[in-house]
Amino acid sequence: MYGVEQVTRFTGGTKYVLDEELAKIVNISMALEMPLLLKGEPGTGKTMLAYAIAESLKMPLIVLNVKSSMKLIDALYQYDTLTRLNDSRFGDSKRDVSKIEDYIKMGKIGQAFVSDERTVLLIDEIDKADTDFQDDMLDVLDQMEFDILEIDKTIKAQQRPVIIITSNAKKDLSDPFLGRCNFHHIAFPEPDLMREIVQVHFPDISQELLDAAVNAFYRLREFKEVEKKPATRELINWIRALNADPDFRVKELIKGDIPFLGVLFKKSPDYALAQRYVSRSRL
Amino acid sequence: MFTEFFYILRKVGVPVSPTSFLRLQKALSKGLINSVDDFYTSARAILIKSERYFDLFDQVFAHHFKGVELTAPTGVDLAEAAKALLDAWLKDPQAIADALGIDEDSLSKLTPEELVDYFLERLKEQTEAHHGGSKWIGTGGTSPVGHSGYHPGGMRVGGRSMNKSAVKVAMDRRYRDYSQEGLLTRQHMGEALKRLRNMVPAGPKDQVNIDETIYQTMKNAGEIEIVFDRRLKDRLKVILAIDNGGWSMDPYIDVVQSLFDYSRSQFKDLKTYFFHNTIYDYVWEDPPRRSKPFRVDEFVRMDPETRFIIVGDASMAPYEIMATDGSIHIEERSGKPSVERLRLLAGTFRHSAWLNPKSAVEWPYTRTINVVREIFPMFEISLDGLEKMVSHLMSRN
Repeated sequence: MYGVEQVTRFTGGTKYVLDEELAKIVNISMALEMPLLLKGEPGTGKTMLAYAIAESLKMPLIVLNVKSSMKLIDALYQYDTLTRLNDSRFGDSKRDVSKIEDYIKMGKIGQAFVSDERTVLLIDEIDKADTDFQDDMLDVLDQMEFDILEIDKTIKAQQRPVIIITSNAKKDLSDPFLGRCNFHHIAFPEPDLMREIVQVHFPDISQELLDAAVNAFYRLREFKEVEKKPATRELINWIRALNADPDFRVKELIKGDIPFLGVLFKKSPDYALAQRYVSRSRL
Repeated sequence: MFTEFFYILRKVGVPVSPTSFLRLQKALSKGLINSVDDFYTSARAILIKSERYFDLFDQVFAHHFKGVELTAPTGVDLAEAAKALLDAWLKDPQAIADALGIDEDSLSKLTPEELVDYFLERLKEQTEAHHGGSKWIGTGGTSPVGHSGYHPGGMRVGGRSMNKSAVKVAMDRRYRDYSQEGLLTRQHMGEALKRLRNMVPAGPKDQVNIDETIYQTMKNAGEIEIVFDRRLKDRLKVILAIDNGGWSMDPYIDVVQSLFDYSRSQFKDLKTYFFHNTIYDYVWEDPPRRSKPFRVDEFVRMDPETRFIIVGDASMAPYEIMATDGSIHIEERSGKPSVERLRLLAGTFRHSAWLNPKSAVEWPYTRTINVVREIFPMFEISLDGLEKMVSHLMSRN
């Protein structure tokens, strides 16, 4: 397959600010052909990283959103029995009813395997599924092949996809699972990096607003007892909201007035708490 | 290469597997790692699988590549440290006095020996490495005891000057916060309690049963016969009995509260009762335990498949649980010791558990906890504990 020199190196996307450490880890995982498991606070850009890799390496991105009820087979392929039944009964399609293969639809992992190009496969929020799913899936990703029982056929990956797995769970995933991937924990960005991130999203933001918003944001994050602290995603939405409001003046923000708290705090107890803190700090 | 590094990691308790170590070797042999910086990031991504061990990894890395002390300062270090402290004190008594938090006058009355003693005591009081701040001994910060602080007379306790950036990064110990167990939030409880479900078919028949449809259609010789099923619904009954009285439960109010909030939104059929310390003839439906008493005998009439969960620290005076009329409330006189009532409950509900907010290591030291544990299986309120409880409650027997 690829030699190291030929592998395109990942340097960041147009809307993604990448720290050097993470870039290295992404590159080394790609070179070693191992899945990269990302953990970190919600809103620190775990999912966005996969989009950025796909964009910068010009690979198609396939997203598998894991759900709690999901079975591994759903992610691999589906045997569409109902359509086949319908075709056999009414026979008004071009499909050949006696050929089961016509009724096999590829799931997300299957799609990544059969694709002619190398793809980026994002497996989002793996922790939602149970441990059996996780282990079985890693077996498939390790072997880079799976069987379709109905037609007794083995699907082998054409090109090993770049696999990014995200997890929100505080709890560790199972050991065999962890053994098969590289791991990185995305820490919450420092204010300086955050400024850069905001600037990438709002290229013509005024310095005044940028400073005021980022400062206010980090102050808000310091509130104790808040269950879900606002993260990058919230900050960006919040600045978008500030920009959209014609009555908003940066001076208010510097004074300690914080409009649209609801954009930042999404749980009602957190919201109430934040409101209390803010009104207290204004006095 | 770096075998020693690997073994130190294992020795300090980081779970690193030989497979991942071989993988690191592969990365090295492929020429992917060209500097100490590269090695730091790659080794961490490949070897370490949880952010909880990042901090330990940082320490081991700094130790291995820079010879930074891994363990607490030894006697020799302390003597050196004390000497340096004395030097600093001679040069600038004012700053030392400020840093140690005693005023200059009383400091000047101390003999050098007393000062050193004071310093050593500080070091003992301190329970973890500390960097920054103005009181404890560690790196950085304004205290002259420690190293690399801005204080001119600052001295070093372990550690040398640093020049390589990866080592510097490792020595920053950015991941110290992640090495501790976090608070149990509602989301985590959700994760843990999610499996506490008992799905039974209910409601209108609105879901196609594909297997059955195919079978019936084949039986009909291809004439389509679509079979519908009822939707699966969670029909698990849960009773939550919470100890909400007395000061002994005060420290755990938050965690019990979030457990309660979560279960209320999660279970359709949830009944909550309150009690103080242990259960006698009555539990209460209202938190102040006044207006709505509920006879414990009534529980017998409930569905025995109900999951019965008691939340309490089970810590009280032994007579409260063992003696007839043991209740500390004068109006509760039942003639039966609480231990019998608990046995009745455990006998009524086959699936029952006691959740204890106290951590499991403390349990053996409280007599009443041991008594309760003989009756109910006890679990601590932590992620692990909740999961164990769920699997216990969902087991068939």
